[in-house]
Amino acid sequence: MNAFDLTEDQHDCLQELINVAMGQASDQLARYLDTFVYLKVPSIEQVKAEHLFDTLNNDLKATAVVSQGFFGYEGIRGEALLMYQPQDSNRLADLLGYEADELTFDEQIIDLSSILTTTFLNVFASQIDNQMSYSAPRLLSSSLDKINQHLKQQSFNWDFALKVRISYQVTDYSFNCDMVLLIPEEAITNIKTVIDRILADF
Amino acid sequence: MLDALCSNILNRLNTGILILDKDFNILMWNRFLEVHANKSDKQVIGKSIFAVFPELPRKWFERKLSSVIQLKSQSFCGWEQRHHLFELSHSRPITTDSDFMAQNCTFLPVEVEGEVERICILIEDVTDVCHYQMQLNKVLQALALSNRIDGLTQAFNRKHWEECLAAEFSRARRYKQDLSLVMLDLDQFKLLNDTFGHQGGDKVLIETAKAINELLRMGDLFGRYGGEEFAIILPNTNLAGAEDVAERIRQTIANNAIDYKGRSVSVTVSIGVAVIDEQDSRYEDLISHADIALYKAKNNGRNRVCVAEKRNIL
Repeated sequence: MNAFDLTEDQHDCLQELINVAMGQASDQLARYLDTFVYLKVPSIEQVKAEHLFDTLNNDLKATAVVSQGFFGYEGIRGEALLMYQPQDSNRLADLLGYEADELTFDEQIIDLSSILTTTFLNVFASQIDNQMSYSAPRLLSSSLDKINQHLKQQSFNWDFALKVRISYQVTDYSFNCDMVLLIPEEAITNIKTVIDRILADF
Repeated sequence: MLDALCSNILNRLNTGILILDKDFNILMWNRFLEVHANKSDKQVIGKSIFAVFPELPRKWFERKLSSVIQLKSQSFCGWEQRHHLFELSHSRPITTDSDFMAQNCTFLPVEVEGEVERICILIEDVTDVCHYQMQLNKVLQALALSNRIDGLTQAFNRKHWEECLAAEFSRARRYKQDLSLVMLDLDQFKLLNDTFGHQGGDKVLIETAKAINELLRMGDLFGRYGGEEFAIILPNTNLAGAEDVAERIRQTIANNAIDYKGRSVSVTVSIGVAVIDEQDSRYEDLISHADIALYKAKNNGRNRVCVAEKRNIL
């Protein structure tokens, strides 16, 4: 147990906020993409900086990772990583409603990442009376080796992060990807304050 | 007073601001765009964005903006994926070779009573970033290449060549394909160095490598194995095929004397050929079989091709 751990109540409350946001987000995405989007029950856990790569790598053998920063009021901020597997790539342009030759694969996953991240986080933010801004999404790398190197070369200036992982499934296009939200230490304290306020209102 | 201040600041920002209605007509833009597009308000305000900027990829653009309107969330387009959307002049026309401003564009929904009524497009000039990133990429590519190439002969260096062999070896194993190896050594190279000096020797190495390269097919992997020793990986090639290649190399080199400072230098090579074998468990086995054949070629009088003893060929 450390200062950044969530209590059981806090954990349940966050889980509930995320569940509701997921429901609304999947509804919006389904209407925009014109197909059903399933979001699997999220996992919420704390990760240590030195285990970040292992935990991401265990989740799936991602070959492309897109990062997008988000920041709202009351110090709620973090980084969203969208992780893709190679077999997911075939019909992305189709799913997004573009002609396949209109955009490259990189652009497709960046576009989709931004849509998934902002749709979910906008709804989540409104749940906690907040509003998010986003940085431009960046493709960290399109090969696992490089992501590995990238993360291992960093000497992180944080010890713990709150990790929320949500899996997206678009069965009509046999497409899956994972969204991993990573919330750094200071922002965990801020999010706990917000959660405590919500819990106190009940 | 504050409005005037804001509009003053908007017009001094080094970021383009463009506001559209839902039908993609331009409602407002700032001075940055006016200057870089070199168009006047009269030509632009109230006009369709596709009329003002005919270079926009219309279908893509409409789909992009429909996500902003429908999902009420912002969207991006970065220079790494699309160098530019709008054909605008930029701030480094002299010191970069970019025709148009490299751009990062952000599409923001502007909501009025919960509905997206307008779209604000922010356009940042990243020509500078783009220019330096390109330079960096070029340098990295050159560095990666020089890391793989032998400077004198331009063949792969030993380290890279061996990595290629390891990869080809495991591929051939996996897919039960042929894989041949040709190793060749310049005959009496020491004598040649003593006669013509080291620069003469270098010239022979360069010309020999060039001659071999011209005889190879796409997919063959040619490397400098040691001082005067070269090696060629021939994927998907059986022993007879490899022997053909080796014989052609031997003849070409023997029949073409090299000119060094007006003197004619005759060169011959000895060649050993081997093919992958069921018993070879490591790529080093293949090298040692080709090497043994090469020594046999040397011992039998040089300027000849020898094939590794037949084992259980796949």
